[in-house]
Amino acid sequence: LNDFGVHLPQSTRIRVWDSTAEIRYLVIPRRPANSEHMSEAQLAGLVTRDSMIGVGLPRPVPP
Amino acid sequence: MSYVSNADLGGREEVRTITPEPENEVFHQPWEPRVLGLVLAMNAVGLWNIDMNRSARETLPNYLELSYYEIWLQALEKILRTSGALDAHAPPPRRVLHAAEVAATLARGSPCAREAVRPALFEVGQAVRTRAQHPDHHTRLPAYARGKVGTIERVHGVHVFADSNAQGLGEAPQWLYTVAFDGIELWGNAAQSAVVSIDAWEPYLLAA
Repeated sequence: LNDFGVHLPQSTRIRVWDSTAEIRYLVIPRRPANSEHMSEAQLAGLVTRDSMIGVGLPRPVPP
Repeated sequence: MSYVSNADLGGREEVRTITPEPENEVFHQPWEPRVLGLVLAMNAVGLWNIDMNRSARETLPNYLELSYYEIWLQALEKILRTSGALDAHAPPPRRVLHAAEVAATLARGSPCAREAVRPALFEVGQAVRTRAQHPDHHTRLPAYARGKVGTIERVHGVHVFADSNAQGLGEAPQWLYTVAFDGIELWGNAAQSAVVSIDAWEPYLLAA
């Protein structure tokens, strides 16, 4: 995760799924703080590739 | 006989670091989409299966020096030779993937779930130990998870068994489970708060 520029606090629990068979897992990016007012389309704009493969957080809510 | 997968990298510290690529960068060179097309078209011919393909890639001796699509291309060249597709008396293709069918074919996928013919040996919550020995053939049990105790987390049903399918010995469908391990069991205190799950076919597992 550090290689991807993601630095998590020690208190974060890390859960790893190694996809060793043909089962595929869909990663739901973690919803950023203060995004309650945003529409589905606006939220989609925050989603990144890395946040969909479990190695990054979505973009923060624009000010 | 010994079988070495050069792609079994989990937990190996000598492996080079990851260089993240820009968002939306799919291909790096104009030849890469051509290799993708070649591989998809040749897979459709039906001379080999997905597990033979993975085995061909993972056993490339220079695997770690190659880029993603270099691996695809070198493995295609290898499997074309080993499958006999290039022989003078090679049989005609069983199927030909025409350009107009590509999108529908990809969308359909190739399901590998099969009918169960006997009950599952393990149930959710049960402790299991993975087999410790290194098989002399393609396998999907990662080296870091051999001889380790974990817990059955999910029963997925019966799936084509990669180990058998990769050797051309048939699909030999087996029950497939998600097995969860404590990070400590796999890597000691350095992985203290982590939980790692793998998908494991029944022949990988023993009651613990």
